[in-house]
Amino acid sequence: MKKTKIGIPRALLYYYYFPFWLKLFDELSLEPVISDNTSRKLLDKGVKKSLSEICVPIKVIIGHVLNLDQKDVDYIFLPRFHSIRKGVVFCPKIIGLPDMIKHSLPGLEAEIIADQIDSKSDDIAQISNHQQLAEIFSIPKKEMKKALTKASNFWQRYRNLLYQGYLINDFSRLEDLEGLEKLISKFENEKKIPQSQRKEIVTPGNEEVVDIAVIGYGYNVSDQYLNMDILNKLKEMGVRIHTFSMVAAEIIEKELSKLRKPMFWEFTNKLYGAAEHYLKNDQIDGVIHLTAFGCGPDSMLGQILEIDAKEYDKAFMTLRIDEQTGESHIITRIEAFIDLLRLKKENN
Amino acid sequence: MRLSFPYMGPTIVYAKLFELLGHDVVMPPKPNKEIIDLGVKYSPEFACFPFKVITGIYLKLMDKNLDALVTSGGHGPCRAGYYGEVHKKILQDLGYDVEIIVIDSPRDDYKYFYEIVKRLKGDSSWLKVAKVIKTVYELTRAMDQIEKKIEILRAYNDQGTINRIWIKAQEEFHQIQTTAEVKEIKNKYLNKLSEFEGSIPAENERLKIGIIGEIYVVLEKSINNQVEEKVNQFGFEVERSQYLADWIRENAFPFIGKDLEEIEKKGEEFIEIEIGGHAQGNIGHAIDFKQKGFDGIIHLKPFGCLPELVSQSVMDDLSEKYEIPVLSITIDEQTADANVLTRVEAFLDMIREKKYREVM
Repeated sequence: MKKTKIGIPRALLYYYYFPFWLKLFDELSLEPVISDNTSRKLLDKGVKKSLSEICVPIKVIIGHVLNLDQKDVDYIFLPRFHSIRKGVVFCPKIIGLPDMIKHSLPGLEAEIIADQIDSKSDDIAQISNHQQLAEIFSIPKKEMKKALTKASNFWQRYRNLLYQGYLINDFSRLEDLEGLEKLISKFENEKKIPQSQRKEIVTPGNEEVVDIAVIGYGYNVSDQYLNMDILNKLKEMGVRIHTFSMVAAEIIEKELSKLRKPMFWEFTNKLYGAAEHYLKNDQIDGVIHLTAFGCGPDSMLGQILEIDAKEYDKAFMTLRIDEQTGESHIITRIEAFIDLLRLKKENN
Repeated sequence: MRLSFPYMGPTIVYAKLFELLGHDVVMPPKPNKEIIDLGVKYSPEFACFPFKVITGIYLKLMDKNLDALVTSGGHGPCRAGYYGEVHKKILQDLGYDVEIIVIDSPRDDYKYFYEIVKRLKGDSSWLKVAKVIKTVYELTRAMDQIEKKIEILRAYNDQGTINRIWIKAQEEFHQIQTTAEVKEIKNKYLNKLSEFEGSIPAENERLKIGIIGEIYVVLEKSINNQVEEKVNQFGFEVERSQYLADWIRENAFPFIGKDLEEIEKKGEEFIEIEIGGHAQGNIGHAIDFKQKGFDGIIHLKPFGCLPELVSQSVMDDLSEKYEIPVLSITIDEQTADANVLTRVEAFLDMIREKKYREVM
């Protein structure tokens, strides 16, 4: 029998949860179809179909949804992320995403599956978060539970590797479960340590290695087209890269507890906790806030971090990406930033 | 305490509240070009417009020797709930030593809320506080009631005449001390306005526009380019989705009045769950305006407003399904008066033309 095809847009929360979804659909004998990597063409389509002043990540996901629709998928998997921690929610645009897609893309042929995600932790495997999915494919409760547990365990292994210092990009180019399983096992058993933890890094001109924390959401930091492959560019310049996903949950928790009132947005809080940790950390030479055009939560976070960076006397740069960012401008800015950091290091 | 607050809508209401509780109230300056420029300079580039305006207002108040600035909080996910925290940070960074008191819902942090209420209450007794709150709430309702009349009558009469009555009424309301006085002034002005009621044409000749959108730009005329007056000027009546009394009722007395909730629930058809701000409610109001026979909707929002971008995304679909024209206007520091005027005029012309053809 031909498997039912479920499309998953390679955008937004995909980068954080894709191993979970790949495993889940495999267990349920559904065929996941992942949209192509972001490209000029794909992004242009998204831009055309969205409001001009909406943030780039939303334009990106609209492009991915349109891309999936062309792949003849039966369904598009677009969970409504509402909350994965008590009292903290997602950005309004992420909560309202299924509504925006349903009402602004009337020509869509695939049906949208938009289960609401309400969880107490990052683990979203509760059966209540997958009811619509279970109903559409008449999956018995027991089977669903089993599949969810397996998916959750698999995702935990991925998450642990991120904590150990791997980048989301080390995995996210893979889209078949088999390859991903192999890679995860390889990383788990290997003696090699991830780039962010390595002592020695060879640079082309034998310059001194610098440590930079790139503070940004998974979907901005890991979308290599959208951010002009900034991570690899940094690596080539001899930079050890640190991101929010490497910071232990307890550390983030500790930083957040110092606020009278934490922010309302899940990943913004995670970025805040991680950024504060890096700002205080002597090993880190500089912090780059990688943000997208029109990001509301980041406008608040960025202001706070800018002031705090001054206080901790840490080099800080805001890098904003949008649908028309020129590559040379990004290179010029990171080169200048790194040069300054190296100069500072030498003078000390 | 010597205190002030952000400027939004009928500021008399907040002034009265703190004044009656025995505080020394400094009236915040009305937003103008200078304040907006100041706010834009010291705010994050992508902060929403109301944030920037409020930054400007706070900075302008800094030489007034204030003990505290009082503002409302919230539990998100709209950014407005976090303004207070970021403003604190900005003012501190600029070297100003002033406290910002953020009134959050008691549900979020009961102890903090209680502390704040105790401080704002000062030496007044709880009975006095209850009385003051009642007076202020009645004042807000009275002002909203008169303003709703103004928004209708201004369409058919000389704008200046009606505006002068409204300004006078506000001046008199500023002097009140008790609930009885509120009633007296309200009746006086309602009577005065009823003299103009003869100007309202027959029901089928009336043209009505509903204004929905983000609360700050809907309520605050000095930053929304007086959109209401512009609409009135072309002979259209106006009603808003937001009035201050509704906002107070929703936030302070959620247990009374279900009628508003019912209107807002209609929004579920397009935005299934609460996404913050008034997005879902606004969609509900848009549908409600159509059902009440309104001829068009003007949707106001600050640039980059998170919840209203979602409602704008579903607006085309709503407009088609419910056959009601919608004009979305984005407000920010670069919005030009002539631009708003031209767009409003074109929009209203189209509606009038449509109605005219239907009648023929």
